[in-house]
Amino acid sequence: MFIFKNKINFLIVVIFLSSCSSMNITEENVYSDNVKTVKASSSMSENINLDSMAIFANATVYFEFDKSSLTSKSIQTLKSAVDALNENTSIKVTLSGHADERGTREYNLALGQRRAESVSDYLVLNGINKSRITVKSFGEEKPLAYGQDESSYAKNRRVEIN
Amino acid sequence: MKKILLILFFSNISFSELILEITQGTEDPFRVAIIEFQGSNEISKDIHEIIKNNLKRSGEFTIFDNDDLLSTPKSENDIIFNDFKILNIDYLVIGNIVNDKLNITSEYKVFDIKKSKKVRSSTIFGIPNKNRQLAHYISDGIYEEITGIKGIASTKILYVTENEDFKLIVADADGKNEQVLLESSEPIISPSWSPDSKKVAYVSFETGMAKVFVQDIATGKRDVVIKNSSQISSPAWSPDGKFLSLTMYQDGNAEIYILNLRNKNLTRLTNHYAIDTESSWSKKGSKIMFTSGRSGSPQLYEINLRQSNARPKRVTFDGNYNAKGSYLPNNEGIVFVHRADVNFQIAIKYFDENFIRPLTESQMDESPSISPNGNVIVYAIREEGMGLLSGVTLSGAKFKLPASEGAVREPSWSGFLR
Repeated sequence: MFIFKNKINFLIVVIFLSSCSSMNITEENVYSDNVKTVKASSSMSENINLDSMAIFANATVYFEFDKSSLTSKSIQTLKSAVDALNENTSIKVTLSGHADERGTREYNLALGQRRAESVSDYLVLNGINKSRITVKSFGEEKPLAYGQDESSYAKNRRVEIN
Repeated sequence: MKKILLILFFSNISFSELILEITQGTEDPFRVAIIEFQGSNEISKDIHEIIKNNLKRSGEFTIFDNDDLLSTPKSENDIIFNDFKILNIDYLVIGNIVNDKLNITSEYKVFDIKKSKKVRSSTIFGIPNKNRQLAHYISDGIYEEITGIKGIASTKILYVTENEDFKLIVADADGKNEQVLLESSEPIISPSWSPDSKKVAYVSFETGMAKVFVQDIATGKRDVVIKNSSQISSPAWSPDGKFLSLTMYQDGNAEIYILNLRNKNLTRLTNHYAIDTESSWSKKGSKIMFTSGRSGSPQLYEINLRQSNARPKRVTFDGNYNAKGSYLPNNEGIVFVHRADVNFQIAIKYFDENFIRPLTESQMDESPSISPNGNVIVYAIREEGMGLLSGVTLSGAKFKLPASEGAVREPSWSGFLR
């Protein structure tokens, strides 16, 4: 157990004050720092619609550093995504936003979310029902490229559509 | 609080060993002689090494070993104070360890050499096979006696490792004695201690989306704090442990909310189309600091919780990236990730100064966490693409924690545990 000892044996400090000098006299008990290990069972796969995977080829759009606005190249990619979604009205999509490793992890998680939201906004503006779209972010936690250089960073600043 | 400017250098990495590099300690460190404790030989040796490293890591001590001394008293009656005065030693520590199968106990005494008198006499009742704990308690007692400040050797650090999977680990403040709290195939970020250090909150992606969990350390019992369909991240406990500030994404944008842990009521704190995240509480719980992109680049802001409808006040102005801030325990300033040009550094800003003091100088430093006594900052560094933990003390000592397997990141310092 990783707990404080209860009050009785937590810490007993007695300070002796004699007439000419002071000295600290202390007694304490070491607490046990044992912990319980937990294994998380991943339920990642439940969010991926296998039907949609089959029909709708995965697409990825890329972003500038610290930006969530769509580039003209991204819009080209998204146009075909809109077409595919319009042709197959039963399929749903998950938009996963990602960031490069520069900057703090939580800020990058929020940045990835904004990127995924920009893609979502584009799809909605082009007639796709919002209920068909799931938006989420992995921040900098799932890089595609591991180098510490601009070409790796550019590959990681992305939204994956699937 | 001592304010210092640091000039720091890194040496080569060596795995598994604590790397201690005092680049600039205090100008006038305490000179302390520690005689190896009497009793069980092997245990005494181990404990001696742990105590020495703990004190050295603070940057406030020069330690004298048996070999450095003119005499090595075994007990109080053997002490010849002049032998220590000649060496300009300030304090002497002697002690013993009594170990049988059921109990391990240590008694130690601290002497003020200049005054030629005993200033402390302590007894610590240990737990068999928890000798490191015993050594940490002794270290903290010595530290407190000499500096008047609470020691942190017996505190813990949480961090995340990534090897084949992700692990949330709790270890001693010196990086040893690792114990796994959570193993997952998906990323774990932003671990944070409850104020009583009995629970941890963190973000796990195990459900396929960022979710905040709270886990009891001793029992392993854990729960998602809010069950909904959108992602939640960046948990931070209020100092009284009753609230958790969080970043929620339900309106499509990162906004900070405060969750009442008892009745699960949510109060919205920020409302801006820019990113607002990485909230942290001041030590009295009266203010929340957070990172916001509302000025066009990430900067730190704070909100006064005692004022109704208080507007966020910007607190950082220098640099193009200031994020993940936390308050010093004495509320004299803040520690955060700072980028002036291209490199991310850990920096400190005191409230009574109008400039930022960088504390580190590598390229990709992140996730600073402050020790509960406010004297040390642990943070994550990147070396040759690998994540490691490093520490810097406000007295100028710098150290690296031993690397465990894989990349190490996201350190978070516990409260006091003794």
